[in-house]
Amino acid sequence: MDAPLLELRRVSKTFGPTRALDDVSFALRAGTIHALVGENGAGKSTLIKTVTGLHPPSSGSILVDGQEVRFRSTAEAQRAGIAAIYQEPMVFPDLSVAENIFISHQDRPPWIDWAGLEREAAALIARLGVALDPSRPAGELTLAEQQTVEIARAIGLRVRVLIMDEPSAALSEHEVGRLHGIARALRAEGVAVLYISHRLEEVFALADMVTVMRDGRHVSTRPRSEVTQAGLVSEMVGRDMEGRFARTPSRATGQRVLAVRRLGRTGVFEDISFELAAGEIVCLAGLVGARRTDVALALFGVAPADRGTVEIEGRPAIIRSPRDAMRLGLAYVPEDRRKLGLALGLSVEANITLPRLEAYRDGRGLLDRARERADALRFRDAMRIKAAGPEVPVGTLSGGNQQKVMLAKWLNTAPRILIVDEPTRGIDIGAKAEVHRILRDLAGEGVAILVISSDLPEVLSLADRVLVMREGRLVGDLPGARTSEEAVMRLAVGAGEAAA
Amino acid sequence: MTPLSAPALRLLVLLAVLALTVVFFATQIPNYLDARLFNRISTSVAVILPVAVGQAFVVLTRNIDLSVGSIVGATAYATGGLLGAFPDLPPLLVPLVAMAMGGCLGAVNGFLVSRFALPSIIVTLGTLAIFRSLLVQFSGGASITMASLPAWVPAFAQANALSWEGIQLRWMVLLALAVVIVAHVVLARTRAGRQFYAVGSNPDAAAFAGIDLRATVFRAFVISGALAGLAGFLFLSRFGNITVVAGLSWELRSVGAVVVGGVNIFGGSGSVLGVLIGATLIDLIDTSLVRWALVSEFWREAVLGFLILGAVALDALLTRRLLRRRARRSLPGARPALAPSGEARP
Amino acid sequence: MTALRERLTSWEGFLLLVLVLLYAWNALASPVFLTLGNQVNLFQLSIEKVIVALAMTFVIINGEIDLSVASVMGLAACSFGWLHGAGVPAAAAIPLVLLLGLACGGFNAFWVVRVGLPSLVVTLATMIAFRGLARVLVEDRGIGGFPAWFNALGQKPLIGPFPFAILLFFAMAALAWVLLHRTVFGRQVTVIGASRAVAEYSGVDVGRVKTAVLVASSGVAALAGLLFAARVGAVRGDVALGFELDIITIVLLGGVSIFGGVGSVTGTVLAILIVLSLRNGMALANLTGHIQSGVLGVLLILSVMVPVFRGWFQRVLHRPEAVS
Repeated sequence: MDAPLLELRRVSKTFGPTRALDDVSFALRAGTIHALVGENGAGKSTLIKTVTGLHPPSSGSILVDGQEVRFRSTAEAQRAGIAAIYQEPMVFPDLSVAENIFISHQDRPPWIDWAGLEREAAALIARLGVALDPSRPAGELTLAEQQTVEIARAIGLRVRVLIMDEPSAALSEHEVGRLHGIARALRAEGVAVLYISHRLEEVFALADMVTVMRDGRHVSTRPRSEVTQAGLVSEMVGRDMEGRFARTPSRATGQRVLAVRRLGRTGVFEDISFELAAGEIVCLAGLVGARRTDVALALFGVAPADRGTVEIEGRPAIIRSPRDAMRLGLAYVPEDRRKLGLALGLSVEANITLPRLEAYRDGRGLLDRARERADALRFRDAMRIKAAGPEVPVGTLSGGNQQKVMLAKWLNTAPRILIVDEPTRGIDIGAKAEVHRILRDLAGEGVAILVISSDLPEVLSLADRVLVMREGRLVGDLPGARTSEEAVMRLAVGAGEAAA
Repeated sequence: MTPLSAPALRLLVLLAVLALTVVFFATQIPNYLDARLFNRISTSVAVILPVAVGQAFVVLTRNIDLSVGSIVGATAYATGGLLGAFPDLPPLLVPLVAMAMGGCLGAVNGFLVSRFALPSIIVTLGTLAIFRSLLVQFSGGASITMASLPAWVPAFAQANALSWEGIQLRWMVLLALAVVIVAHVVLARTRAGRQFYAVGSNPDAAAFAGIDLRATVFRAFVISGALAGLAGFLFLSRFGNITVVAGLSWELRSVGAVVVGGVNIFGGSGSVLGVLIGATLIDLIDTSLVRWALVSEFWREAVLGFLILGAVALDALLTRRLLRRRARRSLPGARPALAPSGEARP
Repeated sequence: MTALRERLTSWEGFLLLVLVLLYAWNALASPVFLTLGNQVNLFQLSIEKVIVALAMTFVIINGEIDLSVASVMGLAACSFGWLHGAGVPAAAAIPLVLLLGLACGGFNAFWVVRVGLPSLVVTLATMIAFRGLARVLVEDRGIGGFPAWFNALGQKPLIGPFPFAILLFFAMAALAWVLLHRTVFGRQVTVIGASRAVAEYSGVDVGRVKTAVLVASSGVAALAGLLFAARVGAVRGDVALGFELDIITIVLLGGVSIFGGVGSVTGTVLAILIVLSLRNGMALANLTGHIQSGVLGVLLILSVMVPVFRGWFQRVLHRPEAVS
């Protein structure tokens, strides 16, 4: 057999102390669809960026046709025949489909022959087995159609390796079918397709080869015929099952605080119903695209739901804005610290007092800075935040300490219902344990906590109950004490249904 | 296929508005529709048109150039001074020299904006003052007068290419129209031209597609400066007398022509043909208000301001409708970022 | 100790140093510079701009910009003149004009907050439109002959050598400082500028704060327009034309980031003193207004580049921490 189209040999990629890719080797052959699966954070995205020249590898080598290559930009990778398309398409909304397809073709003549361009574009699109008017502005297309434009752009560049990063995550069932048709058409033309997905049904329907990654490492590469769903799930999770994390005994939980009934938002999530009791920690598990954050944003009033009801402490609650939610005793700690959670340029104390600034007015209507300082110091001590002082900008702290400041900011509002979104992503082990301790203490004080987490060990060690979401729907409600990572993962990837 | 694309529809609407304006004033002002109206408006539009075309290149890339008025003044003055010192310069060379001078000033803007990623509105607000003060410095406050210029300069502005029943088509007008046509061909038919649209339509995608963002923005400012230089020459030719206030506040008129002409102030869409109509419309309203008995001519500026606001609001509305149709699933503030923050921007 | 060092090496410290040098230079170049009369005069000549600069500090820290302030000043002055010409007593005209100013701000805020257009574009258009309205009111006339008490407000010393406007400026500067640095509102203005999304997620009513800031900006500009009318004793269509350049330059020079979230009233006041003494020095050196504007243009570009310089500075001093 001749050399594979694309081969990775012992590729590693480090960001500071973090090892995002660790000694990864595998090969991609022409005319195959190669699925890449793994949990969130398994290193799939880093792998793509490494192969397409966005992040050159720290060590190891990448070979195309047996020749070692080193790309410094996506344009270079494209010239070598490697391109990637993403969940959010990169199109020019004002330009026509035809122009979008040919914009990056450096070898075309400087004069544009519009009729010819549209003919060629139509031919390319036809090769994908899709109908699309090449003269329409790309901004008018649906997400799926924009993806098609991107794929056409790639094959117009005579790309031989096409990487598709979770391309189906935001598509409807019908659109996914069409996307699969495109992938098969490409395979028939001899293109190697690297298809990243966490929907196992899709993997089994489409792929010739399956590679599993976990914690930045390559786990296995096998023909599809040799893998089973159960085997894949256990390779994706891949930890020794018996508790490395001490499992907490189920707390005696108090009264029902939150009841969500048939909550829905068109095109985003549907029919979400669950309850939360005082002192209970419920984890919301699922993979990227499961729409867990969207449910949280609806509860917190950032992007309100358009159907269903929410009851808080037995009373119907109407939440149209974060202010409404805060009045009702809700707090939401977002995942994205830098964009949504903290004003990094502002001081630690200004961030901590922000959500209830009004409470710091003194008799003359001015800010009581002494009280702000006192509260900031109180949280610093209680949560062991390492900062030179409450007046330093929050951006100068480490990730773990920023995370604690963000928690402190919301605990300062004394919430009865706390939603935390990926509370330990990207922070070190010690800080992670402390965040867990803080959450458990809060539950002990009677706060109802909803944790969105993709970290299965974390889910299992924290949760009294685990809710699992997939594609905008609630697909499981498991008791925390008796569930396993496999059980959660099976629900999250939809393995049970596909096997049936 | 849809019967008409959105940009084509836009042009037709603009033409209709233009026609309606003419009809309206024809009913209001006695002897309105005559050859003099055409002559006056065509020559007056011809001078500002190159500026507006250059402005369109800049606006397409999501920027703005407020310094063009000062560039017009500075180049008009410098060209006049040059002609005073060297009256025997070959006439064909003179507009090229003016364009080169304007292009250099534009390069200053382009360098500051593209190299340091500074907001163009602030940079060009600064150079607006700087270029004007350069003009004052070198002129010493003195004016260029018709008498100091070679005879061909004012003659050029008066020369007719065609004349029919009192309707005169000046060479100057043809020159300005040639600028429009060349710019239109470049923008609509060349890869280099389409890059201006690409950069303004989606800078991230443009970078991904291997388009040099900095170079494209830089180029737009150089073009804007060079065309303002050409307008400086036309200004000199038409008026002969140049004082330190030459071209004052033309930046606003050019932005007005561009925006009213349907170039999206948020970049990425629009055509130079629209700019031609936009400039004509603004000039027509200006000229007609002066002659309209019912309303003070001093409404000109206010009308221009509200016209710009209306055009921008319309654009935002259209853009938003497009986006709603497209991103029916993504949420404000919760969009998954492709590249980690800090990667796209320094 | 560290706090003191930090303060001295901060932008405000740098501005203070520049100011001291500038004063020393001017004092050496011209013996009249340091006299109280000249200092009062220096303020008096630009008092309208510096008052508006205080409000503009809030606008830019809030992450917006208001290019229409100079036109609002012109419109306010001209409508005062127009009302006066129409026989409205000055005491009644003043509140009407101030209301008009607030309405201009409300108009800007409507497009920015409700419709969601960038303030840059909106205020560029209203800059033209408001100026146009001013010209409609007075056409090409000059209107004067205001009551003596009104003119005295702008021209005659009120307490000691200080006229009303200067006293007002110092009162407003103190008020601005308290408002920005010591109240809930000021904190919200800063947070919104630093990160609008964070403010929204923290329950701040972003629309209300932005509206307040834009309305205040125009209101203060209208007040400044009245002061201009009082000081000059007459109005024309081009009152305050081009003042936005000086005002924005002052604010950016004062260390307010054009991208919002960073800045202080102290910085703005120091920048005011710098720009005034620079202008005064240039005037004493017989440089024309256009040249002075050119120097200010250079200053504007340099001040918007402050973050660039600061970035170079920091890259040399501290290696950036790796953030993955």
